[in-house]
Amino acid sequence: MNVAQQLVNGLVIGSGFACVALGWTILLGAARLVNFAHGQMYMLAAFICWFALTRWGLDFTAAAVVAVLAMGVLGILMQSAMSQLVVSQNLTSLMIVTLGFGYMIQGAAGLGFGGSPHALASPADKVQYQIGGIWFTGQDLIIVTVTLALYAGVWLLLNRTRQGAMVRAIAEDPKLAQIFGINTWLVYVAVFMLEAVLVAIAAVLVAPKTPILTSMGFEEVIMTFVVVVLGGVGNVGGALVAGLALGIFTAFFGALVSPAYTTAASFAVLLAFLTLRPEGFSFR
Amino acid sequence: MNVLDAADLTVRYGGSVALRDATLAVGAGRLVAVAGANGAGKSTLVNACAGWSRGHASIAGDVRLDGRSVARLAAYRRARLGIQCVPEGKNVFGELTVEENFALVPAVPREAGRHVFSREDVLGLFPRLHERRTHKGSALSGGERQMLAIGRALLAGPRILLLDEPSVGLAPRLIFDVLTVVRRLVDDGLAVLLVEQNVSAALDVADELYLIERGRIVGHGDAAAMRQDERIAQAYLGGLAEVEP
Repeated sequence: MNVAQQLVNGLVIGSGFACVALGWTILLGAARLVNFAHGQMYMLAAFICWFALTRWGLDFTAAAVVAVLAMGVLGILMQSAMSQLVVSQNLTSLMIVTLGFGYMIQGAAGLGFGGSPHALASPADKVQYQIGGIWFTGQDLIIVTVTLALYAGVWLLLNRTRQGAMVRAIAEDPKLAQIFGINTWLVYVAVFMLEAVLVAIAAVLVAPKTPILTSMGFEEVIMTFVVVVLGGVGNVGGALVAGLALGIFTAFFGALVSPAYTTAASFAVLLAFLTLRPEGFSFR
Repeated sequence: MNVLDAADLTVRYGGSVALRDATLAVGAGRLVAVAGANGAGKSTLVNACAGWSRGHASIAGDVRLDGRSVARLAAYRRARLGIQCVPEGKNVFGELTVEENFALVPAVPREAGRHVFSREDVLGLFPRLHERRTHKGSALSGGERQMLAIGRALLAGPRILLLDEPSVGLAPRLIFDVLTVVRRLVDDGLAVLLVEQNVSAALDVADELYLIERGRIVGHGDAAAMRQDERIAQAYLGGLAEVEP
């Protein structure tokens, strides 16, 4: 086994995990909301990108932008439909409603895009680099750099801007935020839109690495839950560390034991970790 | 014209009525106190003026700000129009620093009737906050938190300030300090509605007082006259001994 190669693979896989989980981290941690349509939104973003790429003949970047914008609009629409539940912080109903949205998205995508697998061909995936015997693709490089940039951007947004302070204030006490003159509904819409945009960005980065199917969804983003909980729910820095650590674990587990059981092994790690350190990788 | 007029306010929590047909007015440069026993409906009254409630309250009746009805506006809209409420209990964000709590305040539009305070003004009133500006709300003492809550409300450009028991949990010395600051603001023309458990302290600074019992306003008058009111003397000022014949 080439340790350095596995480390790089792990870093790429982990960046993918972290990237897919970022929207959820903000949603749950910053706004105390959940979205179980996350996986189907990931799928839909990948298919919109694929459609714009193959049917409209756009280049990859333009197709990716179309997918991200479309998901932003979908995020606003979903949030508007759920606004009563969101404002009253009715999490149980939100779980079920978002789960329902997920299946509706999956059904609509199945009708629209068909049931067969497709390849989302990113030109950067064809570019290969070799440095000191370690191989990686242009897509790998983009995944890692964009993920790090997104985490930095989100961290700055949450901790260094007035808008970020508003999001944190609402997470702590939405009722009190009203007294402060904050339109909580509008902030929830913005956060949900951000979650949709971030999962779309994750999809156009990560989905080119595997075939895409309209039936993929929950399974594709299952690591999100491990990352969010390991990172210490809602902790942006923690989610990045958790994502990268989980990616490296996955790479080595795949190389040493079997790639087939990495998900099960990841959840075993999660369980062990939560028993020993219930607050996750929290840095507070 | 009064700054704030509440007419026939009735508030229900589920099936139970917490406030019935309350009518009150606060003029410019007046400090109006609301007194009553625990659970009489003082907080309910103040919160209803702000259109706000921790629980699920249904509020009926009219609230007018400078003559314009705001009864149909959500709490955040009323706050932006200048009904600045400092609720009892948790009234600042513990996870945010003092600076960040201040930064949440939306820009104050230039309108007549707004009392505009700069950050320097607020820190001048409460110098402690300047020393604590990088601390989180949860790290502040009870008094500092109260100063932050009031300071934040001032920064938001109030037309009227609603203060719900600002002295709860504070040392007597601090109660005096806070109420002195409030009185100074009133003397500069601000309208203030003050809920105060310490009726004696309230009467020392207030211009008028409303007495509330079991969800109803049962008395109203100038502070001096209310000091002589038998119900107040007996229930809040330690018996008849202090009342002159």
